Amino acid sequence: MISIPKKGTPERDRLIREHLECVQSMAGVAGFSVLKCATPGDTTVISGGVHEDPLLKRVLLRMRGASTKGKLVVICTRLDAEWRIGRLSGIRGVPPVFATDEVYTSEQDIQHAIFLMRLDEMPDSDGFPEHYHEGYKRRDDNWPVT
Amino acid sequence: MCAMRLTGYADKFGVHPGDTIKFYVNCDGPAKYQASVVQMINGDTNPRGPGFIEKAVKADCEGVYDGIKQVVYGGSYGFVADAPQLKPDSFTLQCWIWPTTPKTDKRYWKHGAQGLVTKWSGGKGYGLFINTDGCVELRINGETYTNGAPLRDHAWHFIAASFDALTGEVVLHHEPQVVYALDPEIPPVKAVFRGKVEHTGQPLVIAGYVDHVEPGPLGLPSLPQGVIVGGHYNGKLDSPRLCNRALSRFEIEMMKGGAQPGLTERRNAGPTGALSEAIVAAWDFSDGIDTLVAKDAGPYRFNATLVNCPTRALTGYNWAGQTFDWKVAPKEYGAIHFHDDDLDNARWEVSFEWTVPTDIKSRFYAAKLTTPEGDEDYIPFWIVPKIGQEQSKIAVMVPTISYMAYANEHVACNAGGAELFIYRVPIMQQQNMFLAEHREYGGSIYDTHTDGSGICLSSRLRPILSIRPKYDHFLAQAPWQYPADLHLICWLEQMGYEYDVFTDEDATYDGLARLENYNVIITGSHPEHNSGTQLDALHNYTQRGGRLMYMGADAWYWVHSFHPAYDGLGRGVVTEMRRCESGIRTWRADPGEYYHQGTGELGGMWRYRGRYLHSVAGTGMSSEGFDISSYFTRTPESLDPRVSWAFDGITYEENLGNFGLVGGGAAGLELDIVDTMLGSPPHILTVATSAGRHTEAYLLVMEDFGFNQQGLDGTVHPRVRADVTFHETPNGGGCFAFSSIAYCGSLPWNNCDNNISRLTKNVLDRFMQDGPLPAAPKEAFKHRGRADYESPALASST
Repeated sequence: MISIPKKGTPERDRLIREHLECVQSMAGVAGFSVLKCATPGDTTVISGGVHEDPLLKRVLLRMRGASTKGKLVVICTRLDAEWRIGRLSGIRGVPPVFATDEVYTSEQDIQHAIFLMRLDEMPDSDGFPEHYHEGYKRRDDNWPVT
Repeated sequence: MCAMRLTGYADKFGVHPGDTIKFYVNCDGPAKYQASVVQMINGDTNPRGPGFIEKAVKADCEGVYDGIKQVVYGGSYGFVADAPQLKPDSFTLQCWIWPTTPKTDKRYWKHGAQGLVTKWSGGKGYGLFINTDGCVELRINGETYTNGAPLRDHAWHFIAASFDALTGEVVLHHEPQVVYALDPEIPPVKAVFRGKVEHTGQPLVIAGYVDHVEPGPLGLPSLPQGVIVGGHYNGKLDSPRLCNRALSRFEIEMMKGGAQPGLTERRNAGPTGALSEAIVAAWDFSDGIDTLVAKDAGPYRFNATLVNCPTRALTGYNWAGQTFDWKVAPKEYGAIHFHDDDLDNARWEVSFEWTVPTDIKSRFYAAKLTTPEGDEDYIPFWIVPKIGQEQSKIAVMVPTISYMAYANEHVACNAGGAELFIYRVPIMQQQNMFLAEHREYGGSIYDTHTDGSGICLSSRLRPILSIRPKYDHFLAQAPWQYPADLHLICWLEQMGYEYDVFTDEDATYDGLARLENYNVIITGSHPEHNSGTQLDALHNYTQRGGRLMYMGADAWYWVHSFHPAYDGLGRGVVTEMRRCESGIRTWRADPGEYYHQGTGELGGMWRYRGRYLHSVAGTGMSSEGFDISSYFTRTPESLDPRVSWAFDGITYEENLGNFGLVGGGAAGLELDIVDTMLGSPPHILTVATSAGRHTEAYLLVMEDFGFNQQGLDGTVHPRVRADVTFHETPNGGGCFAFSSIAYCGSLPWNNCDNNISRLTKNVLDRFMQDGPLPAAPKEAFKHRGRADYESPALASST
């Protein structure tokens, strides 16, 4: 399978750079995608990101498909003003908890912060479908379904 | 963390001028709160839009109220009031169970023993339970008897337990219906209990047990009042029986047949006359599936009152897989699925009420609750004119069934962020955080219960934190449903239109009478969930010259019905929907469980009941994606004199709606297209399209293909697009479909000075005129096939 590039590799640096450029171009959009707006904040012309970087797309798919337990989420702590990174418990009725003390003042920038955290937290082979374990027998794989 | 100390709901969604609306408020902490009434105009706080707008309304209920804590008692169960026959010296209890969470994590929100059939409380009485090890347990007073064999989840088990007061013998049977090759045998457990069953005056409970009695105000919302039921059982329960002596295993087998009232030489079969004398109660859940009563066919008629609307019309232990409609084979549908997070009514005490003045405008309103410490909540409602007292030529049909379907959804939390379909990390608002902790507020029809089974019922008699202003939904990272529809309201207000509002309930119950006095009906951005009579009303309206402006997408999709057992509490209290054979489904109904418990009608998509989505307003859902939106451009058909008036002041070349407060464009989230094979009329004109402009997050709906393959996303598939359409209906009527959920988010952009606003205004100005629309040119009348042309809207064919 395709590995998540290790720290210090040029691929990883490229992914980080591409992701950051996409995130920055999305400032002001009432929505978000890892794609680049030709004019910042305007989705009329978009390119790059997951549409043009197959490695970035694969890495993001694996991150997005990770199990609920311990998964990072964004928590809005002040409407249109402050956001923090949280972690899902994976257990119903047990709410997410804050994962860091950092307070973000952009709902887009925090997407990049989580991308960086996931790159650091996830081993390069994280989420390989061939990592068979007993849980695969009853959908306890890493692709959450609703 | 973001604790919400103020929450509330009203007894009605829609209230007529002159009528009274009641508000129920939980104020958990602050000593006082201020209540007022406001008109809601814009709920979106996005700094690129007009910002939050509300208008003060003079109301005599305005004032400062004492803060009183009110709690929600979630979890379904049945109860029977205490009676002498329920206090036998000896007994046998038996039932079939299909447990879904026999064992739970210690951190699970309701971790603990689960009651099956219990007349037990505080160490007194008797009952069948599942203990925390996931094993069946009989309790007699403080003693417990179990077999150490954990119950397999999602499997039928027959359970029975008896106690003989004379000999003291206790027997516990646990017999799985399906035994696999390597399953150890589960022999009956035998023991001796020396003593008497100590009976209490507490009710008998099915799917729970009496946890404690709460005589204070906090106990008022529970049923029976003041009696707090705990130990909620998750799973199906079928055919419980209670007998007043210890039955042999053979007698227990006979007793599976239940009471056979009126046994004669010609009818019924089951326990013999002698054995029947032991019956105290023999519940038959297949009787009265559309009610809130679990009927007892036994001699004493100990009918159980069902609380919090558990799911019925589900297959029982004896379902044969031959009949799929419970009405045809009710005896195979004798199971009730109880959930520890079911909720039909918060049953709070009234905090204040307001008699609506007779001269008030029909609009979106809300009760605004605040405290000096900064707490805030809004309880939205709508003032709806009485029929015959309409105030305007325009009416907005508020998609309240869809609001209920999405009420208090937990998808961001449950589905691991649902990141694979929203294509980013979700943002949880304070409402989501509160609900993640307060499961008792109940989930939405998009969620699964805490046991993983689908939620198919939703009540409006509970605080619904998703029907709120200042609430961005994780799906859109922007307003969705109620706050998104306020974009439309904001536009109507800014443009100076006079308009009335009515709800889905009004259309459902009143039919055409509710619609026919308006020149034009405007929908919300996402009226996805609809009752049959509502669709009938829309059909009758447009066929008789009415005009419909369909302002969104993914509408007319799911079959809904209001549960008739709640009719006494008002209109549309509990709505039901089943996610059947196809469609975008966050859960999927199990085989044999497609028919509604309330009305008995087939659930699922209207498409599979032969009512194509496209037949209602011209277009139907093709795709969805939740990252960012795109825009429209005109097609040659927009130049047709039948419709060119809609583009007055708009050039042919300009991009339509490449701006907006939902995804950044007018074409986004969920998209509708023309399909003359799926109900779009053959004379429909596609006047603008977003073909070829969507991201790979946008995917074709699954009901449009039968084979999984690559190439279903917005960058390549021609059906992943939105089409703006117009068609005439008989008698001078017409439909304009804008076909995108994000569309309304572009209306208020730049102070409503933009081409989406212009297009919408052109259509509304024409549609709101008295009398029939101007006739189409003579040459437009001609015979048309369904597909004898190539649609210019198809980018792939040009």
